[in-house]
Amino acid sequence: MTVPSGFDLYLYIVRVLITGVETTIAVTLGSLVLSMVVAALFAGCYRFGGQFTRVLVQSYVEFFRAVPVLTQLFVIYFGLATIGIRLDSISAAILGLGINGSAYCTEIFRGGVDAIPHGQTEAAYAVGLSSWQVFRLIILPQAVRLVLPPLTNFTVQLLKNTSVASAVAAPEVMLLAHNLVNETFHSPEIYLCVCLVYLCISLPMMRFASWLEFRLGATGARS
Amino acid sequence: MMDHLLECMPQLLRAAGDTVRMMAVSFVLALIIGAVLALMRAARVRAVSSIARFYISVIRGTPVLAQLFFIYFGLAEMGVVMSSYQAAIIGLAANSGAYVAEIYRAGFESTPKGQLEAGGALGLRRFQVVGLIIVPQMATVILPPLANQAIILIKETSVASLIAAPELMLRARDLASEYFMPLELYVVAGIIYFLLAFPLSVLVRVLEARLRVHR
Repeated sequence: MTVPSGFDLYLYIVRVLITGVETTIAVTLGSLVLSMVVAALFAGCYRFGGQFTRVLVQSYVEFFRAVPVLTQLFVIYFGLATIGIRLDSISAAILGLGINGSAYCTEIFRGGVDAIPHGQTEAAYAVGLSSWQVFRLIILPQAVRLVLPPLTNFTVQLLKNTSVASAVAAPEVMLLAHNLVNETFHSPEIYLCVCLVYLCISLPMMRFASWLEFRLGATGARS
Repeated sequence: MMDHLLECMPQLLRAAGDTVRMMAVSFVLALIIGAVLALMRAARVRAVSSIARFYISVIRGTPVLAQLFFIYFGLAEMGVVMSSYQAAIIGLAANSGAYVAEIYRAGFESTPKGQLEAGGALGLRRFQVVGLIIVPQMATVILPPLANQAIILIKETSVASLIAAPELMLRARDLASEYFMPLELYVVAGIIYFLLAFPLSVLVRVLEARLRVHR
């Protein structure tokens, strides 16, 4: 195989890396959806559940926020395989990033709901709304606005974390980069292009997040 | 199985020590890099603040793994050869520095401008105003996010195992293939990470609660 030089080399590298973007985005979106579903469930349990449920949710959040994504991925991909649960690398990546992300996402959702002044809930009860109505009509519409900027930043975080999935051989941008390095030995150029590819996705999202924050005036929201 | 796991524990704990050392060194470096970047960002010369802004965006927009690979493999190809440990520390510090710079900036912006003027009106010199009025207030604001960044850094050291830097995750991987018990070893590694990071996250909560009282 002949490898081009000069500017053509960069074009060649980017063309190879782009074939991994699909997987990178699929893993990002898959783990985002998983995180949000689990987090919605847990944030709901935290809000409506009793003392015991709260402690459980809190422990889950604390534990998974304190353990590196890479460790979780290895447990799921290499560890579970030894007890007969064999996942392909993409499913393992989505599961690992999703479980890890759900802990952060639970905090984001809870923060959004907590930020709505309690007086509004009391007022809504006073005019006769049920607790589900209070949540759906009063809290949710406001919480969504508060949650959007940190959720966008969280998605950027997920996107960057997908690179770690290369360690379990998920064929995303980073893995393709490794393979290319092994074939061509042009590692500085290749890793620069990797950064470029990630920036093309992450920068617009980061811009969007700060625009949202500005628009919604959600100064209290943090990623 | 339990015997094997116990056999592995001393090695894992020693590796956890390496993780803490790696994290501590890169955190101190990140505090310095962050300060330099924050000052550059606040500079009146446009070119200087643009460079800092560009650096921060690039770092925040790309995975730390890509940065580590560039520093370790890419720079070696260009003639800058270093050990994986050095590359890990430089990479992690360069990465966290960008986030720390943003934390400093948020801290500085949280103190009202009027205080600078009021301090001046009372006859304090500028360094007195900054040292006696701004920095003490800034410290309470930036401590929780800084501790948070330290937690992130502990977890990010695990990624350094992918460039074979000696730390907990690399040891766990070696032992996992040696004894062939990946599940047990990675779970134990996870628990060790938790034990390292959890005290810090308690600290964050205590600091945040204190901060609320101050307000």
